[in-house]
Amino acid sequence: MKRERGFTLMEVVVTMAVFGIFLIIIVILTAEMRQNEKRYPINYMAHPEVVAVMARLRKDIVDTKYYPMSFQGYSQSNKTLLLYTLKQTGFGETVVYDFRTAGEVHRKAFNATQLSSDWVARGVPDFEVGAFSLSTGQDAVRITAKDAQNQLAIDQIFLPRAHD
Amino acid sequence: MSKERGFSLVEVLVGLLILTIVITTTIVMFTERHRRLRQANETILAYQALSNEVEIWRRIDFAQLDGQLPTFQSDTSILQPLTPFNAAVKVDTPRADIKNVTFTVRWNKGQREAHLSILRADTGGKGLW
Repeated sequence: MKRERGFTLMEVVVTMAVFGIFLIIIVILTAEMRQNEKRYPINYMAHPEVVAVMARLRKDIVDTKYYPMSFQGYSQSNKTLLLYTLKQTGFGETVVYDFRTAGEVHRKAFNATQLSSDWVARGVPDFEVGAFSLSTGQDAVRITAKDAQNQLAIDQIFLPRAHD
Repeated sequence: MSKERGFSLVEVLVGLLILTIVITTTIVMFTERHRRLRQANETILAYQALSNEVEIWRRIDFAQLDGQLPTFQSDTSILQPLTPFNAAVKVDTPRADIKNVTFTVRWNKGQREAHLSILRADTGGKGLW
């Protein structure tokens, strides 16, 4: 009696066909995902540290009375933002946002010339500060950040509210 | 009596059915998750542009609101991944001293949209929000 071992040709063909179909589905899905990855910037707003930075910036800029040109060795640039903002107590403080260190945001608050708080956010994108003038003549602050593929991921305009 | 080995047809069919359910569910979950992440990303981009535009229109004098072009005045570079998109502004006057300004961004052939509205009141002042 002849004893057969192994698979028949039909079994191998059917198995490869089924495997091939799944492979095609996975390749199509992966290709579509890669295409979208290239098209869309990273969603930094899903990152709690980035949201915290944006929330603090918004609050400080909304309550800003003026922008000092320089303070304590810092000066206004696309990597440093200086502002004189109102605290909840009603008194003012000078706040310096320092974006010069890659992946970090430093917020230093000064009571007169005394450093009163120093807050750091890490693991954040590289922010840039830009001035933005409205047709009404008011000066806004424009905060932008790009992802590793140089795509604009954050672009926010903040304007101080009227205080007087 | 022959001694048979291997699986019966029913066992193979049940096994294949279970495998098909697992694989189909995984693929559906994968594509759905991917679709929702993409939509969330698009919405975040749209709302950044909308809030920027709100900041500008908040500062325009009440009397000049009707005279503005119904388009976005801010830089909409952030919306580039949604191209082609449509950004529009609509000013309604429900009462003489109140205007409702609605900002809308439409993309994906008009199938998706995000909008934001602000209410402006005639306070008699200038540059107020």
